[in-house]
Amino acid sequence: MPLSGPFLQELERIVGAAGLVRTLEGRLVYECDMHTFYKGAPDAVALPRRADEVVEIVKLCRRERVPIVPRGSGTGLIGGAMAPAGGVMIGTNRMDAILEIDLPNRCATVEPGLINLSLTRAVANSGYFFAPDPSSQMVSSIGGNVATNAGGPHCLKYGITTNHVLGLELVTGTGELVRLGGKGAERPGYDLLGAAVGSEGTFGIVTAVTVRLLHVAEAVKTILASFTAIEDASEAVSAIIAAGIVPAALEMLDELMIRAINEGTGAGYPKDAAAVLLIELDGPAAEVEAQGERAARICWERGALEVRVAADVAERALLWKGRKEAAGAVGRLAPTYLLQDAVVPRSKLPAIMRELIAIGARHRVQIANVFHAGDGNLHPLILYDDREPEELERAKAANEDLLRACIEMGGTVTGEHGVGLDKAKNLPLQYAEADLNFMYRLRRAFDPDLIMNPGKLLPSHPACGEGFRPARPRVPDGAWI
Amino acid sequence: MPVAARSIGEALVTIAGRDRVRDDIGSLDAAIVDGLRPRWVVGPASIDELSRVIALAQDAGLAVVPRGTGSSLELGHPPSRVDVVLDLAGLDRVIEYNPDDLTITVQAGMAAGTLAALLAPHRQWLPIDPPGIAARTLGGVTATNASGPLRARFGGLRDLLLGVRFVQPDGVVTWGGSKVVKSVSGYDVPKLMVGALGTLGVLAELTLRLHPLPDSERSWLVPLDRPQAAQDFVARLIDSPLQPSRVELFNDNAARRLLAESGSAGVAVSIGSVADAVRDQGERLGALAKAVDAGVVPLPEGFWSKVSSAMEPPPGWTALHVTSLAGHLADTVDAIGDIVRTAASNADVRLSGCASFGTLRLLMGGASVAEMAAVTTRVRAWVGDVGGSAVIARGPVELRRTVDPWGPVEPGALGLMRALRNEFDPKRVLNPGRYVGGL
Repeated sequence: MPLSGPFLQELERIVGAAGLVRTLEGRLVYECDMHTFYKGAPDAVALPRRADEVVEIVKLCRRERVPIVPRGSGTGLIGGAMAPAGGVMIGTNRMDAILEIDLPNRCATVEPGLINLSLTRAVANSGYFFAPDPSSQMVSSIGGNVATNAGGPHCLKYGITTNHVLGLELVTGTGELVRLGGKGAERPGYDLLGAAVGSEGTFGIVTAVTVRLLHVAEAVKTILASFTAIEDASEAVSAIIAAGIVPAALEMLDELMIRAINEGTGAGYPKDAAAVLLIELDGPAAEVEAQGERAARICWERGALEVRVAADVAERALLWKGRKEAAGAVGRLAPTYLLQDAVVPRSKLPAIMRELIAIGARHRVQIANVFHAGDGNLHPLILYDDREPEELERAKAANEDLLRACIEMGGTVTGEHGVGLDKAKNLPLQYAEADLNFMYRLRRAFDPDLIMNPGKLLPSHPACGEGFRPARPRVPDGAWI
Repeated sequence: MPVAARSIGEALVTIAGRDRVRDDIGSLDAAIVDGLRPRWVVGPASIDELSRVIALAQDAGLAVVPRGTGSSLELGHPPSRVDVVLDLAGLDRVIEYNPDDLTITVQAGMAAGTLAALLAPHRQWLPIDPPGIAARTLGGVTATNASGPLRARFGGLRDLLLGVRFVQPDGVVTWGGSKVVKSVSGYDVPKLMVGALGTLGVLAELTLRLHPLPDSERSWLVPLDRPQAAQDFVARLIDSPLQPSRVELFNDNAARRLLAESGSAGVAVSIGSVADAVRDQGERLGALAKAVDAGVVPLPEGFWSKVSSAMEPPPGWTALHVTSLAGHLADTVDAIGDIVRTAASNADVRLSGCASFGTLRLLMGGASVAEMAAVTTRVRAWVGDVGGSAVIARGPVELRRTVDPWGPVEPGALGLMRALRNEFDPKRVLNPGRYVGGL
């Protein structure tokens, strides 16, 4: 839907010529996020500098019923920050200031476009950090982290983004600027803040975020344990959790991934290992010491081939090197891959790993695994060659089977990446119509005209549509006033 | 519309069975909410029954007040109508517990004490400890977003509730969230249900994140009679590598109630970890206290369960839940002290609170309604200036008619709350009038 001349003039009046992208080549930059499978360029990209500009843009778009797609750094993995129906994209990149660092109250207020790692860098000298650490933290924006409720390797201990957001300033789908939460612990009324984090831009667009800052731990211990069988590694994960140890991170890599990493990065993982566990503990030194020994012992008991403990910062970085470069190293195995993000209950890890091998064999696809084992959050990379359409089909089929298997084991469709366009169709696997309908109605309280990031997060199933009401329970006959 | 052939009472009996629908005067009097006597007390034995009772209530235009043990019925505005009191304590089964997952799914009427007993053999717990926790139902604790000293380390219910099954005001059974520790599939519906006082749906089933019980735990009191000294000490504690589970401030009155003559105002700190780390951190706590010229007094076993009962308001008392900021802890405590001295000079006051978050619990006894109202209004005005709030967590109905028990809500946010309430409960079936803004 091309935008009218007067509409574009109005948009330019709000954000200025420098804040408006209208050319085709300019707009194509914004046609996809890191899930490059889904493409849709916006009809214009507005780059506001202030919240009042965002308010004006939303009001303008609402008046003209033009869809709005919020976007931070575009590093999402779900087809969230792209415009399948065109419309106006609002990029937050020019709103990247740190508004306040309030150490006495251990919080900071920032604009949404601020890069995640920039905040930690700004407070590191004072001994603080911002806990959510998605792998993209060097480039992803805090607004984007809020929109997707991003996780990361260390969320096993520290929780995901929602556990660290104290307040939001949000421009809703009606163009109203509302403040949800604040520096204090909680306020009377519904936890709209909790509902808004992870709403993927479908409630509105965030113009300021107040986040909690944490004090850095005294000691960190990183352990690398390798195993000859993935079942043994999976069982070691379960045993570590069952022993009452909550590591900061507990990551697993499988055989295929180890091979790719060894060839690609020289991280030097043991060659004959079928699985590698990366265990990181942090906290008071005495606790880390005791729990580190216990975790290492558990690994040995489960038949570990080798258990390495990083002696210093450099060794720690080396142990992490392979994990951090995993996604890139996979390029050595296949031109491209589908990335999965489902979660299973932790005790089901050994079972899902067996199932995963079976699914790979059934659909004749290679599946490499690198994932957050501690919380059961899988990240299988289903490899395929995009020059072979038939390979893509097999990869997709394996993907569907895998999702189903995870749900059947009591899991969830996405653990930390989000739903976006990519997984909206999968939500009915996990939720009944009544559940989806509740979410749909929740969304409408924030965005009654459904202009905010339409088509994302919720399936466009008729069951979610206007006027749909799930069947009510039967009331006894004649029970009327 | 069919003509009424039977009474609503008979319909309720059809749904829940005669034993679980009470309409005798004794039962109804025992279930009075803020002076309003219900017409029925219904105790559904299953989620299906619960759902059908609520659907019937909506059709028949009845007002429903859900209750667990009834400990928080003095929270919020007096309801505008009460026809059915839903007694949910019968929904107390475990649905699913696999200790290795560190999660559990239970029905919402289960008492927190029952859950604790169930988890203890597996060395696990749900770290949530508002006053009187053992007897309270998990649904009640969730619906009222109650918290206690442990929030210093573990946060509140919003950080522990992973999934929730609830019955919407039209009777539709709905699920939100997931049963695993990490999920971003769809909106975070569980958070919306925490502290919603059942106004968007009656909680029926909860999936909770559990934590491992520490190997060892010890607690100390750092006596500090000046609030500023307490704030300084807490700031040092948070800036240190120590990982306390509780950082609870007590005023003189509260401390004496807990520790008799040896009690004095100060900050009680507990550390849970492996034994070596507890010992080590205890020593370092001593050093931190010394830096502010204070000592440490080891606290006896059972101290925290005493806190749980001592901070429950006795009948006729009022509990005010004050949210301030850690950086304003001393100002806030001083301001509360001044306000009570001038506005309710004869009141008996116990004060405690999570010092690292700046949340305080103020218990007031021996004061008139007018005095308590004045304290509430003035404390609210003071913390309002630092973005805080003061909610009457429990108090006599006359007080809650005199002052808004919730206090102001930011207009934009209140507009959204009203939109949600109108969307999901336009007929005001659930807790009519009790919630913020009279919703």
